Amino acid sequence: MRSGQRASSQGLRALPFLVPALIVFSMMNLYPLIHGISRSFYAYHARARADVFVGWENFTLLFDDPTFFRALSNNILWTVVSVAAMFIFSYALATLLNSKYLRFRRAFQAAAIIPWALPRVVVSLIWRYIFLPDGALNAMLAGVGIQGPGWLTDPSLALWTCAVANMWIGVPFVTVMLLAGLQSLDGEMLEAAVVDGASYFQTQVRVILPSIRRVIIIVLMLEAIWTFNGFEIVFVMTQGGPGNASMLLPLYGYLNAFMYYQPGYGAAIGVVSLVLVLGAIALYIREVLK
Amino acid sequence: MRMTGGKQVMLHLCVLVLIAIVLFPSVLLVFNALKTETEIFNHPLGVPRSPTLQNLRSVALDTTFVVNLRNSAIVGLCTVLIVVIVTAPAGYALSRFKFRGRTLFSTLLLATQAFPGIIMALGLLTVLITYGLVNRLPGLIIMHAGFSMPFSIWLLKGYFDEIPVALEESSWIDGCTRLQSLTRIVLPLAVPGLLGVATFTLLLSWGEFFFALVVMRSPEMYTLPVFLAHFVGSGGIVEWGPLSTAGLLTALPPVILFVFGQRYLISGLTRGALK
Repeated sequence: MRSGQRASSQGLRALPFLVPALIVFSMMNLYPLIHGISRSFYAYHARARADVFVGWENFTLLFDDPTFFRALSNNILWTVVSVAAMFIFSYALATLLNSKYLRFRRAFQAAAIIPWALPRVVVSLIWRYIFLPDGALNAMLAGVGIQGPGWLTDPSLALWTCAVANMWIGVPFVTVMLLAGLQSLDGEMLEAAVVDGASYFQTQVRVILPSIRRVIIIVLMLEAIWTFNGFEIVFVMTQGGPGNASMLLPLYGYLNAFMYYQPGYGAAIGVVSLVLVLGAIALYIREVLK
Repeated sequence: MRMTGGKQVMLHLCVLVLIAIVLFPSVLLVFNALKTETEIFNHPLGVPRSPTLQNLRSVALDTTFVVNLRNSAIVGLCTVLIVVIVTAPAGYALSRFKFRGRTLFSTLLLATQAFPGIIMALGLLTVLITYGLVNRLPGLIIMHAGFSMPFSIWLLKGYFDEIPVALEESSWIDGCTRLQSLTRIVLPLAVPGLLGVATFTLLLSWGEFFFALVVMRSPEMYTLPVFLAHFVGSGGIVEWGPLSTAGLLTALPPVILFVFGQRYLISGLTRGALK
């Protein structure tokens, strides 16, 4: 930035560069967001064959809907559990892959991130096969003499089975980000901690984790938001079933808007989801812009 | 610091176990694609005994796979083209100019990560209906472009930030306009950034499911993710052999692309999150 240039004159010169992006952004991001939110105050009226304004009615209906509450609590549990598991797995993997004693380190690092490129629907169908009653996992368990449960058909398991697939999908991205964080650490600082008599655990908690705090917050918030808004996995693996055992808000919103012809109700579910991730997105934006 | 032999063996064992968990599902996909239906369920974990191309034949001949593959390719490539053209100048403006609303614009770009798909789909559907683009490729292309653009602008801004302004200043003295210095000096140096954005956008578009599910209504208009979801979720018996083959063929293009494009994408992603 050259000194002496005022923001207003630079604004005029920046404008031509921004116009195409502003047009696409307004049409494909801002307008749909505002219009989509506004639809939560409308309901489809069959006789009028149009949306009619109903105020907060969709939201008051939500509070009497047990399926909504099931989806809501599922959504929170599934997000917290699968993101926590994703983080622990990825942190362990990144730490191991960063070790200077590891042979073929480059090859292992490359192998760890390949699944990043797999389309989510493909991943979901592989995991659906793995968790079939006569699928790969139960075949393995049978090999050691255990009769495996119906991972996708048992109401107490279905959501957690989907969470495993979700965890697996997030691992490459989180591992890459954490690995980059670990690689940026100052080796002397770590050795100083060891010389000072810090144990392995102390070094991790007091030195390493705080030093890569920013990248941790960024990946955790992104993965929490993506997981909270996740759709493909339950759609392909369980369709929310059995019953509503693995129903999540995005799937319930989709079913209402596009299968039950209640777009206003579906939009209201989306608005609730948006409100619930506001804290996470604010934290993410704050760290990125810092 | 030294590491004892025992510890070193443990380290390698742990890595092997974790990598096995990461790679196992993909290996299974390849195996199932080459097995017959009976072998998939009689020998779920084994290597294919006599690899068959029967699944490939039935996917290619009995389904809409080939035309859906074409749709995915058209949508992906057109989306990349639009995104690169639109985001390069915008990323440049964010990097080089100080203007009112700059922080607000950056905040909004980042905030799009949180917009729920259901709200966006309902809003976008109205746009598409207005322009008669439902169930048509251009409709999905502009949806994917809008979806990929905010993060792509942010990625490119990061690349442009690292190209010294001094390089451009001499060209201004020679009478170059800003647009000329962008296209002649900055963009050639930002090719890795453009490749990163192209990789990001193509992966996103190729795998995108929700919008495609909502706007593509007839089987010959499906993209591959929608094709796969209907294949597995159409009720009745799922044929895992053909399904796995279709899944494998869907996964191969992005995996191959990723092998070449990953370093550009990853350097862009990590640079913003570190420091």
